[in-house]
Amino acid sequence: MVFNSLTFIVFFACVLAMHSLPLGWTTRKINLLLASYLFYSAWNPPFVILLWISTVVDWYAAQGLVKARRPAARHAWMLLSVVANLGMLGYFKYGQFLLDNFTLLVGTLGIAYHPAHYDIVLPVGISFYTFATMSYTLDVYLRRALPARNLLDYALFVTFFPHLVAGPIMRPTELVPQFETPRRATSQQLIFGLALMTIGLFNKVVLADSFLSGVAESVYDSSKVPGTLDAWAGTLAFSGQIFCDFAGYSTTAIGAALCLGFAMPDNFRFPYAAVGFSDFWRRWHITLSSWLRDYLYIPLGGNRHGARRTYAALMTTMLLGGLWHGANWTFVAWGGLHGLYLSAERVLRARFPGYRPGPLMFVALGLLTYTLVNVTWVFFRAKTFAKAWQVLRGMFGANGTVRPILNTYQLLSVALIIGALLLTHWLMRARTLESVIARTPAALVCVAWALMAFAIIIVQGEGHAFIYFQF
Amino acid sequence: MLRASGDRYARQTAADRPGVAQPVPVRPVPAQPWGRILAGMVPLLVLLVAGWEWHWRAFGVHPSVGNTEGLWAIERRRIDAGEGNATVLLGSSRLYFDMQLPVWERLDGKRPIQLSFEGTSPVTAMQDLADDPKFTGRLLVGVAPDLFFSGFALHDGAAHYTRKESPSQRVGQWLAMNFIEPRLAFDDPDFALQTVLARQAWPRRPGRTWYTEVRKLAETGADRNTHLWSKVADDLQYRALTRSIWAEEFVPGPNDPSPAEVLKTQNEQIARAAAAVKKLRARGVQVLFVRMPSIGPFLAHENQRYPRARSWNALLAAIGAPGIYFEDYPELRPDLQGYYLPEWSHMTLADGERFTAALYGVIERDFWGPHATAAPASSGDAAAAPRAMAAR
Repeated sequence: MVFNSLTFIVFFACVLAMHSLPLGWTTRKINLLLASYLFYSAWNPPFVILLWISTVVDWYAAQGLVKARRPAARHAWMLLSVVANLGMLGYFKYGQFLLDNFTLLVGTLGIAYHPAHYDIVLPVGISFYTFATMSYTLDVYLRRALPARNLLDYALFVTFFPHLVAGPIMRPTELVPQFETPRRATSQQLIFGLALMTIGLFNKVVLADSFLSGVAESVYDSSKVPGTLDAWAGTLAFSGQIFCDFAGYSTTAIGAALCLGFAMPDNFRFPYAAVGFSDFWRRWHITLSSWLRDYLYIPLGGNRHGARRTYAALMTTMLLGGLWHGANWTFVAWGGLHGLYLSAERVLRARFPGYRPGPLMFVALGLLTYTLVNVTWVFFRAKTFAKAWQVLRGMFGANGTVRPILNTYQLLSVALIIGALLLTHWLMRARTLESVIARTPAALVCVAWALMAFAIIIVQGEGHAFIYFQF
Repeated sequence: MLRASGDRYARQTAADRPGVAQPVPVRPVPAQPWGRILAGMVPLLVLLVAGWEWHWRAFGVHPSVGNTEGLWAIERRRIDAGEGNATVLLGSSRLYFDMQLPVWERLDGKRPIQLSFEGTSPVTAMQDLADDPKFTGRLLVGVAPDLFFSGFALHDGAAHYTRKESPSQRVGQWLAMNFIEPRLAFDDPDFALQTVLARQAWPRRPGRTWYTEVRKLAETGADRNTHLWSKVADDLQYRALTRSIWAEEFVPGPNDPSPAEVLKTQNEQIARAAAAVKKLRARGVQVLFVRMPSIGPFLAHENQRYPRARSWNALLAAIGAPGIYFEDYPELRPDLQGYYLPEWSHMTLADGERFTAALYGVIERDFWGPHATAAPASSGDAAAAPRAMAAR
């Protein structure tokens, strides 16, 4: 079930109604759990089993961790969780990819190997909920958290529908304590939650799906060779699309949780106003980048064991972070580029430790950051390296004179939306959305909300899945 | 923490807390009179939506069922749900808009299943039916030369969608069909905000191949009984627009395939169709092809790109059976019966009803009726139908 669908509207209305009934807290949690399983199974019912497996394995692994006396036993319980979760992820997400690459590899050695093609269905959200359940076991292993008091609270943490299929990737210490005490949204939380859902859906349905995705498709999914203007317009359109799609989903999820009285963490913080890549990764998909930092980068040594190990940990983390997004070497290239950018930034910071840019240089560096991020988006969006190189060559004028692909309206809409997006990010880079709303006249908030809701209705989103559903 | 000082809503994120357990998030609500804001937003939204709806109703739009792959899936599943011996109509927009299901039902006693899709060659759906052992009925395949012989298919994924449709999508389709679509005229892709904006008179970009998107042509009912939108016939300006859109296709363009490529693609499509027909006939399905009417410049274009002798006759020869070419039957000819095709390709509702009755008569008399006079499928005689006509 996607947030931008009639089915979800009816589902959410029923969940809100049920949650507001004068029932005991345990009963209401059970209702939320069942509703969350219904939410997931509305996509493909049998795959709820995978959710259960992940839930049960990590519940018992965490229990075992707490009871284990010897370090080896603790280690074993932790490994059980990691192997089970990564095993599931590896099979469903990377099974065919690994097989294809193995076939290619042995082919280069002269061995003709032709395995059957397995049509492995990728369970929606598997990358997200396996990371959420692993963080539970890992936090217990690292003694950062105690296990949940009961299986209901833990199961609800895993399956809570606002964050289940596309994040924000929550840690158990963020959500489980919220289940320990009865809660309902206040009227203010409910209404603001609905407003957040409107903002999120406006980003996703109006900006991403209705205006930007078509432009990106015209360039990236076409066999036509793009010239400079089209290559940049298509890439900028995708940069806007992926932000509005994913940040829109996160905002909708945060709003939905708030309507039920729960708080979810920020996942984006106006990333296109980032200055430098460390700044970018503190603003983009915050819950994933911090997950990778806490459970991969730091255990690999982080920056505590000298420069060489730091760069190795950084590159490993970013390469694997790229691979997490999809079973394609283009995603690895995307992650690898970000790793190179971060490494280069570290070198420059070490070389020029006291450097503080003036206002103009600050903006220039921000625009340079955004430009370099767009170069990485080429690999993220292109389905093959051949297409990625074709678009990159176009961006840097190397495709010569070619027939235009996009029409005037498409170019204008990208210019307008991306221009507005960049301006908004720069105005908001040191602010919170809440502070801006608080300072806005109530009448203007009312009109803006109505206009966004109106736009959502009249673009008639056809329920396009969120991009990150495929991860 | 990157926040301006004095921002009371400022808060840390996980990015600011490396290597520690993350606490319960802070989710403040901005200080605003939210109750009053909501009380103002809802009526304003209703007003805006009502205004938008009024605008499109004034344009001549009526609420109708959305022509979606979800709706196609509902009809397709009827075959697997007990109606495997039904008559299926499978073609492009001509068989879709011109055939009126209530008329067929009145004459035949049973309502056919409409699986045609505009802008879509029926060959992929034919293959899907051929692979479905539950389908044992009769299949009427509409041939619009530009689509059938080129394999162009806007909705080629309909059969795949049917197999992959999730429970959530099925529920959404049901909700839309029953609560939204019967009430809102603007709920049509042609009137979506982004479509309306894109169709304004923007300056043309030099060097870019220009084509105008096909506009709304039809209105659909719950079981995909569809007819030409009355505006196409009644509004001369709209009719001129739809004609001009078709006319763009008649002008040779730089991206047009060469005659050799056209022939190669045509033969590939015929081979695909023939293979599907063979499979269908092997389990007793009666298959009949019909070349639906077109007139004027559209007919001239089709005859020039796909001459009958080289395309239609080749198709019948490959499948080894007769078919119905509208020009061979006086009762099907627009010039003799006065069928009105406002934009040269599709009939008005009233004439579609007359045509359906006439076509049904031809089919029952010459092909599927108990006293049909056309040669059976196995004879391989592609010209049997016209000879049968001439013999009477």
